[in-house]
Amino acid sequence: MSGADAIVIGAGINGLTAATVLVRAGRSVCVLEAAAQVGGMANPRIAHFLYNLSPLVRADLGLGRRDWPFATHPLPSVALDPGGRHVVLRGDEARLAGGGTPPEANAWRDMHARLTRYGAVLRQLAEAAPPGLEGGLTSAAGLKQMLRLGWFGIAMKRLGRRDMREFMRVLLSNAYDMILDEMPDGPLAGLLAADAVRGGAVGPRQPGTVLSLIYRMGHGGAVSLPAGGMATVTGAFERAARDAGCRIETGAQVTQIVIEGDAVRGVETADGRRFDAPLVLGSGGAAATCALAGPAHFDIEAQRRLRNIRARGTAAKLNLTLDALPEISGLPADLMGARMVLAPRADYVERAMNAAKYGEISDAPVIEMVIPSLTDATLARNGGHVLSAIVQCAPHDLSGGWNDAARDRLRDRALAALAEVAPGLPDLVTEAEVITPADIEAETGAPGGHWHHGELSLDQILTLRPASGMGRYAIGPNGLFLCGAGAHPGGDVMGLAGRNAARAALGAEGGR
Amino acid sequence: MTQTEEYDAIVAGAGHNGLTAACYLARAGLRVLVVEKNDWIGGAAVSRSLHEGWTYSNCSYVCSLLRREIVRDLDLPKYGLQVIPYEGGASFTRDGGRFAYYSDADALRREMARLSPRDADAYRHYSRAIMRQCRFIRPFLLRDAPDPTSLRPRDLGELAYLVKKAHGLGRRELGETLRFWTMSIGDFLDDHFENDLIKAHLAGSGIIGTGLGVYSPGTAYVLLHHYMGDIDGGIGAWGFARGGMGAISGALAAAFKDMGGTIRTGAGVERFLVEDGRARGVALSDGAEFRAPVIASNMDVKRTFLEHTDPRDLPDDFRSQVERFKIRGSSAKLNIALDRLPDMPAAPEHASFIRGDLHASESLVELERAYDDWKDGRWSARPYIDMLIPSRIDPTLAPQGAEMMTVFVQYAPYDLYRNGIRSPGNWTGEARRAMADAVLDQIAVLFPDIRERIEHTEIRSPADIEREVGLTEGNIFQGELTFDQLLFNRPVPGYAQYDSPVKGLYLVGSSAHPGGGVMGAPGANAARTILRRETSGKRMKGYAA
Repeated sequence: MSGADAIVIGAGINGLTAATVLVRAGRSVCVLEAAAQVGGMANPRIAHFLYNLSPLVRADLGLGRRDWPFATHPLPSVALDPGGRHVVLRGDEARLAGGGTPPEANAWRDMHARLTRYGAVLRQLAEAAPPGLEGGLTSAAGLKQMLRLGWFGIAMKRLGRRDMREFMRVLLSNAYDMILDEMPDGPLAGLLAADAVRGGAVGPRQPGTVLSLIYRMGHGGAVSLPAGGMATVTGAFERAARDAGCRIETGAQVTQIVIEGDAVRGVETADGRRFDAPLVLGSGGAAATCALAGPAHFDIEAQRRLRNIRARGTAAKLNLTLDALPEISGLPADLMGARMVLAPRADYVERAMNAAKYGEISDAPVIEMVIPSLTDATLARNGGHVLSAIVQCAPHDLSGGWNDAARDRLRDRALAALAEVAPGLPDLVTEAEVITPADIEAETGAPGGHWHHGELSLDQILTLRPASGMGRYAIGPNGLFLCGAGAHPGGDVMGLAGRNAARAALGAEGGR
Repeated sequence: MTQTEEYDAIVAGAGHNGLTAACYLARAGLRVLVVEKNDWIGGAAVSRSLHEGWTYSNCSYVCSLLRREIVRDLDLPKYGLQVIPYEGGASFTRDGGRFAYYSDADALRREMARLSPRDADAYRHYSRAIMRQCRFIRPFLLRDAPDPTSLRPRDLGELAYLVKKAHGLGRRELGETLRFWTMSIGDFLDDHFENDLIKAHLAGSGIIGTGLGVYSPGTAYVLLHHYMGDIDGGIGAWGFARGGMGAISGALAAAFKDMGGTIRTGAGVERFLVEDGRARGVALSDGAEFRAPVIASNMDVKRTFLEHTDPRDLPDDFRSQVERFKIRGSSAKLNIALDRLPDMPAAPEHASFIRGDLHASESLVELERAYDDWKDGRWSARPYIDMLIPSRIDPTLAPQGAEMMTVFVQYAPYDLYRNGIRSPGNWTGEARRAMADAVLDQIAVLFPDIRERIEHTEIRSPADIEREVGLTEGNIFQGELTFDQLLFNRPVPGYAQYDSPVKGLYLVGSSAHPGGGVMGAPGANAARTILRRETSGKRMKGYAA
């Protein structure tokens, strides 16, 4: 039997962030990870980019405010066009790969400026626990929240009246209409529509997708590739935690959260060990965390709400080993290392995502890919290249279930879609690894294999995340907290859920 | 010959909202003229004899949303409005199964338990949640939407009212309310029920008239929009107007004339006359001109400002916002004269639901696929139908022994896809018949002999509805009921209180808050605003004030 001030279940980005924040506040913390390695969904086999990590998290963890403790390569984005008119995005600048300016360039500059401005306003909400509804307005906590909302209101006002009106109109709107109101349908519109739904189980015509696009743009929308791949990032998080004095055990599967009276006492692991602690933070899904604690500690209404959380991952990962670099007609060689998105039109994305509703694999999937070996030679193998692709839609609840035949079907459809822009690519493939949402769930425990551990839809954000009445990280018995992507503000390699949860846990200590 | 007459106010369009506004203005003592392009009044609330002996309510077909405050203020029963409540409805499956919905709680419980005992239990929870939301929202219908960017006392007051009502819900209920308002009807039903047919039956009201699918966020609110009506105090109850929906317009018109108002049919507004940024009158299609300092347009926002107002009189920014306003045609209508009641093998004899709404959709997935067809510019292969036989309740609508059937069809696109082109021009006679065929296949699920019973069919594509009624794209709400087009965003941010950049030109139709359905709320609210802003000392009287 061993003890600590706090136990964190799961060593993903959010779990490690929560642990480090607690350690740095002077608590002794033990992180228990079921898998053999840390990183969770930021595992290099699953994730490939760094784009949304919060500067606040970096600052709190000592990972540098401006420069990372490792090299990163900023990548342009290329919206692939089967007709060869690829659009290249660098920040707010859009150009054609073959030279020249696409007709959408001005619309994109305006939209980029607007969405990043809105993202900065919304970021304020992401950087703290969501406004709660408990306590009333007169308590100290209530006043603090009102103050924060006041700041949010001021930030909105500072947009100016016209922009504020546009913000409030577009916020709950759908990405498809917003994009096509300003530019013709084509590769750039397709790329934006794809970014708005990546990881989710919705099409771009669904209301609320503008919000998920802004979410992606919350930190400017720039994408970079860490030198050495995502392993470097997870390694940096692990080192930050260990350097701060955190204990991390891998291969330690928590089987029960021990509760006595109405308070957490610790956890038990599969190998029969018990860890005592008055604080337990779970970075897995809300429902899984509650199951570890046992249903007896949650009222029936809470259980009903947990059951109804929607978490159906639709993004599969395809890792290809190529024996030579493929050619994409119309794309200069120096852009082959960019983030490339195959979504030639917004309505292509809508059609691809229809499949999510019926448990089918898309006939013509949306693909985001990168050939990291071009930017970072250490990632190349045997003189060849690796191609890392996220393929949508491949729903977690595939009808008929995920088996080898279904995996092959997914691979073949993705290769067929890629052959539209890179006809020679399928012949270069020597190895293909398909990781389905079901595999991701099995490996990492992420509910439904969903990127955000739960759909980032309007009815599952802020106070309603992961479910109504559980929006402020504390759930059920005293001392139990959620610190994963299922909690506010959600996933991506962002770390805010872990940071906010740790701060909520520290705040709650004083109250008892 | 040009005639110019002076009025205090002119209402463009004799739909139910235009007439409601006209009544309230006339009641406050204004001289009001209503002009209407068709030879008949009523807009989309009409009863027309299109086949000898049969009366069709050929657009809107049921009644419940009409605000009771308006009915009382204008004393509409005195002018012939009589609403008959109906007691339920049913959905049928291809293999002969059915789910019947009864307004009687015990009957409904027994019926649900027959399909799923679990769902019978869940229904209590579900209906309580819906009713709570209805009660929460109804007080807002006859109020103006506050402008959140404004610090005027009136807007702050409305905002404070909203906050007070939300606070009054309590913490737990507020969370549920936020969730309900932002979620899809499909997800909401999946939360509660397990039986596909029950879910399909209840989901219909979440999509009627919209360009959304059952799994699109925001459709739970659309369901509410259809449920928040009341008849005889029963929330969510539906009914028929005796004599068809035209009885509502007829009663409003009769009340209006009684107050001294004038209605002129047969020529619509060609152009709103604007001088120095202020509305001065209207020029009609037959050359007549009328002048008034206040013009109230019952047309939708696109028609009003893009087609009948000189672009030079509007800021560019406003025009582009109006262009962006989404009014999407998604529904068609079949009105059918039947020689007698068709056989209904799946129902017991004398089933009460024959007097209610009948459907043939089996599951949420089927409904969602119907929506996917529409997105691609096709009518749904298996459309959702909301079918009624109003002559079972109101025998005046059809000859003795015969029946009149009205079928609302969801989804049918306005710009039909054909040979690589999406255009309303693709709605040829052949296309309309092919669409009707798909609808009749659905009807045949309930009534296998439907095709033999037909005496006459009126097929109305979204393009037809646009042409005749003047609703852009044939959209029954004069604009999608999505988050970005509700409350202070409806129709255009900054002009959500019935006003426009042209002084004296107001919107009174359902493009304005709180939106469509035969509710009359936009008309009444707009009249209140007009009286406050344009007259000195005249105020609206009555419950709706």
